[in-house]
Amino acid sequence: MTADSSLQFPLLSLLLWLPILGALLCLLWYKAPAASRWIALGTSTAVFVLSLVAGLYSTGSAGWFLYEDASWIEHFGIRYTLGMDGISLLLIILTAFLQLVAVVISWDQDKFSALFFALILVLGTGIMGVFLALDLILFYLFWELMLIPMFFLIGVWGYKRKVYAAVKFFLFTLAGSLCLLLAVISLHLLHGEQTGVYTFALEALQQTRLSFSQEMLFYLCFMAAFAVKVPIFPFHSWLPDAHTEAPVAASVDLAGLLLKTGVYGMIRFAFPLFPHAAEKSLPVLAVLALIGLFYAAWIAYLQTDIKRIVAYSSISHLGFVLLGLAAWNQTAWEGSLLLMINHGVTTGALFIAIALIHKRTGTREIAKLGGIWKSQPNLAAFFLLFSLASLGLPGLANFSGEILILIGTFSSNAVWAIFAVGGVLFSAAYILRMVQGTIWGPCCEPFDKQDLGGREWLVLIPLAVLVVILGCYPQPLLDSLREPVSFMLRQGGQP
Amino acid sequence: MQAILFYLTAVVAILSAFFVMKCRNPINSALNLVTTFLCLAVFYVMLESPFMAAVQIMVYAGAIMVLIIFVIMLLNLGLTVKTRYTHGLAAGGILSVMVLFVANYFTRAGEATGTGGSVTSELIASYGHTELIGRAMFVDFLLPFEIASILLLVAIVGAVVLSKRKV
Amino acid sequence: MENLVQEAIQNVNMQAIMPSLVLCVFGMVLLMVSVFSKRGNTTHVAWLSIAALVITGFVTLSGWNNPQGGFADSVLFDNFATFFSMICIIAAGLTILMSDDYLKREGSPVGEYYPLILFTTAGAMWMASGTDLMTIFLGLEVLSISLYVLAGFFRDQTRSNEAGLKYFFLGAFSTGFLLYGVALLYGVTGTTKIQGIAAYVQANPDSAMNTMFIAGGLLLLVGFLFKIAAAPFHMWTPDVYQGAPTPITAFMSAGPKAAAFAALMRVTIVGLDGLQSELTSLFWVLAVLTMTVGNFIALSQKDLKRMLAYSSISHAGYAMVGLVAWNAVGLSAILFYMLVYTFMNMGAFAVLVLIGKKGEDNLTLDGVAGLGYKKPILGIALTIFLFSLMGLPPTAGFTAKFYIFAGAIKAGYIWLAVLGVLNSAVSLYYYLRIMVQMYFKDPEEDFAWVKINVPTAISIAISVVGVLYLGIVPGAVMNLAKLAGF
Repeated sequence: MTADSSLQFPLLSLLLWLPILGALLCLLWYKAPAASRWIALGTSTAVFVLSLVAGLYSTGSAGWFLYEDASWIEHFGIRYTLGMDGISLLLIILTAFLQLVAVVISWDQDKFSALFFALILVLGTGIMGVFLALDLILFYLFWELMLIPMFFLIGVWGYKRKVYAAVKFFLFTLAGSLCLLLAVISLHLLHGEQTGVYTFALEALQQTRLSFSQEMLFYLCFMAAFAVKVPIFPFHSWLPDAHTEAPVAASVDLAGLLLKTGVYGMIRFAFPLFPHAAEKSLPVLAVLALIGLFYAAWIAYLQTDIKRIVAYSSISHLGFVLLGLAAWNQTAWEGSLLLMINHGVTTGALFIAIALIHKRTGTREIAKLGGIWKSQPNLAAFFLLFSLASLGLPGLANFSGEILILIGTFSSNAVWAIFAVGGVLFSAAYILRMVQGTIWGPCCEPFDKQDLGGREWLVLIPLAVLVVILGCYPQPLLDSLREPVSFMLRQGGQP
Repeated sequence: MQAILFYLTAVVAILSAFFVMKCRNPINSALNLVTTFLCLAVFYVMLESPFMAAVQIMVYAGAIMVLIIFVIMLLNLGLTVKTRYTHGLAAGGILSVMVLFVANYFTRAGEATGTGGSVTSELIASYGHTELIGRAMFVDFLLPFEIASILLLVAIVGAVVLSKRKV
Repeated sequence: MENLVQEAIQNVNMQAIMPSLVLCVFGMVLLMVSVFSKRGNTTHVAWLSIAALVITGFVTLSGWNNPQGGFADSVLFDNFATFFSMICIIAAGLTILMSDDYLKREGSPVGEYYPLILFTTAGAMWMASGTDLMTIFLGLEVLSISLYVLAGFFRDQTRSNEAGLKYFFLGAFSTGFLLYGVALLYGVTGTTKIQGIAAYVQANPDSAMNTMFIAGGLLLLVGFLFKIAAAPFHMWTPDVYQGAPTPITAFMSAGPKAAAFAALMRVTIVGLDGLQSELTSLFWVLAVLTMTVGNFIALSQKDLKRMLAYSSISHAGYAMVGLVAWNAVGLSAILFYMLVYTFMNMGAFAVLVLIGKKGEDNLTLDGVAGLGYKKPILGIALTIFLFSLMGLPPTAGFTAKFYIFAGAIKAGYIWLAVLGVLNSAVSLYYYLRIMVQMYFKDPEEDFAWVKINVPTAISIAISVVGVLYLGIVPGAVMNLAKLAGF
């Protein structure tokens, strides 16, 4: 992977730092909530447009079609290196899109709104930085940068148990990332001792000669950070709490984007840096993925809070994604990445629909909900659509990813695939239970009979359109993924 | 002979130091302190430093003690201090016995290396005590010596700040 | 006789003590100024001492890359001393900036306060530049005695009295240990010069096995470790930090601590280099103990000053990790760490200075509930400092910890780095508790008594800039720290 021209318009930096600029502007006008709202909207629109512009540069081949590199802390050989390939492009566009959605959906946020929007924007920078950084310390910086705004978003604007959820989220993720930091420093020093060049650049560090045990140790440290974020089965317990207590915009970002950073970290950093360890770990990963898939689905089935159901469904879906990665072939990986995008859209949309229901009924308990179809048919229709997509109905978003994963997994390990199909059935069970309890059933008396308002239509329609498009015609995405994925698989060494 | 003198003086020094704490009348304590200082002066003589012994008597046993007694009189402490220090005494006794053992251990186990400082008897004979002390103060330890003046200044200022009646 | 005079004059090198000299002269002048100024009005003394510190800063910096020794090798003002002196000057400056208004609020505007801070700084400089154990010892004493007085400065507050007395008694005890150590070392080696001790050890390698030598070295360390507040010599810290006037607490946690580190580093790495393997294992244990004790006790604290006291114990532990590494990276890491710590910790204390009421009974966790909303700017500043204390990027706390742990890993102390990182994970919890109170709890008070005054605001601003600058573009200062190693 080489950088093409070095002197070009710093599109990536612009993409990255524009939200920070917006956040500062928001804080400057903190006395005028309306201004901060419009600034946030303007910034996130601009970022979205820029991310699409970045897409124009895409060549479809492996390698960075946009690349920036500058010296930063020379003392340690830390550089400011950003690069965009087909995989990061899609994730960046997803980020920009969901950020925009998050801003619009929290339009009438009136508690410290300037701070709220500023944090949302900073979160955007953190997430995009993770998807773009190619220097391990830069990556770590953005990795932590995601944490801080999310902590405040949950803690300040969350629901009842917000403090507990925020602190738990913070401690879990940070404990993981400290392991990452240690491994990064050790790797850096090891590489420096071998070559005399002290650097944190991903491509250089890939050349480090490691004994298998060293590689395994580093790999585990990296995976500790990523596994918490994804979350892989035994590290998941922060997620339901964080999701349930978070305000809707934070839920959208959390489910739609933050979880993806974990998977992205694995495929961009953990696997290429430690291919042998990764190879050995695949069966374990697959088993954990399957456990997560079933366990989360089972727990989701037992939940009474619909937001919690969707939170657990995220764990379940991410289990699917991981299974695809563990299958380690072109089809499965493409499917995994596609499912990440799809899941970002559908789950984000589901959280929004749930927030709208919550706003109208004042509850998220299945037992108290019901009959939305009668009182708010439009909202109920959207909710149904997103739920079905989440369940994996053919023709809607998640299906395209899941089917690719299943096909890919079948070709490498049929047993896993058979289990995974069972997982799909499970998800049908809890999603249908949720839909049935919410939309049909005896009508509860909602506070607010009003159906969707203008701004809500504005958010839900694009999401719905996307859900359908992603389900029916994911080809452009797959085109963008093909070359980078095959390059990465080759790089990692096919098992 | 020397050993007997040493132990005698040492016992007196320790006893008088003990009575410095033990006496309830500050004047008695102060007088006991003078005894301790005098014993120290004897040690200096035994270490072949008559000049230091003289200074010890003049400065400590003389000037400083006068100041201390002066302060005691001025503040009219008299017999006001009546608190008993039984616990403190016990603890202090145990502590000092421990220190004694430790010191004894070090001096025995440490096999003094025989490395002397630059000051030897011949040197003393050729220069004389005062000049050697002058050298130590104004050549070797000039800076610490000067810092000590700042130290005293700070201590005085501190004492004044902390004890001034009204701000 | 004339020989002696000439010899004495030859040994004098004013440049080697110029910074401390300037400070002392200013200190004495200011003592006179405060005697002759109106009672209760000390603002001009404060500003004059700031001016003194600025001038001293320039004088100190002019000695960069131009090591000056003298006074029969009892002082050496090299880059190392310059760096540490600058840390102490910055700490003193920030302290004075936040003091004036504080003293007026607490009702003790006494002019001697500022000269005492200047003398403390001078003492710190002698500790950092001393190459003779006597210089270091006397520097330590000047510093300590000024601090005893400053800690007990509020005579009518029981807690301040307690702080002063406790600090005095324990401090005097530890100094006794230090002096005993010096005596034993002198007994073995026949010299108090650090270089002389090193030369002796080199010439007689078996002296490392000499009980007397080891005992002397250890007793010496006790004195320094006490000042650093490393476990198990940390017992005084919480009470003293809590009881002392808040600006003085801030100062104690930064300046004197840095100076003690400087002396400790010079004594161990230059003087006791022969004992490297023994000392590194000792420091390994002490570093882990210090971090762990500090962090775990801090978890249960409710009083903010006390919590920050324990946090400062744990930070001393992190810094000691650099000493364990015993390599160039580790040493410059300590230099860098102390600088960063000065900014972040003093900044945090400066915020506490502002939000305290008279008597400071409200500086508890519950007392800052909702601060982030009522006083957003103070809230953001404190948040930045706390994130830095946690060690999160892009603040300086991250780069500093990174530097320290990189040094440890480079020297092969992986487990030490792991324990350090685990400790930072623990520390997150209590720093987060403050933030949770500030932002996640609804304000109970309106914080109407908080009057943001200009000097304190300046000190907070300087700290914020320092924390962010050293966090985002640390390159330049890191290079300086690298040049300042031995």
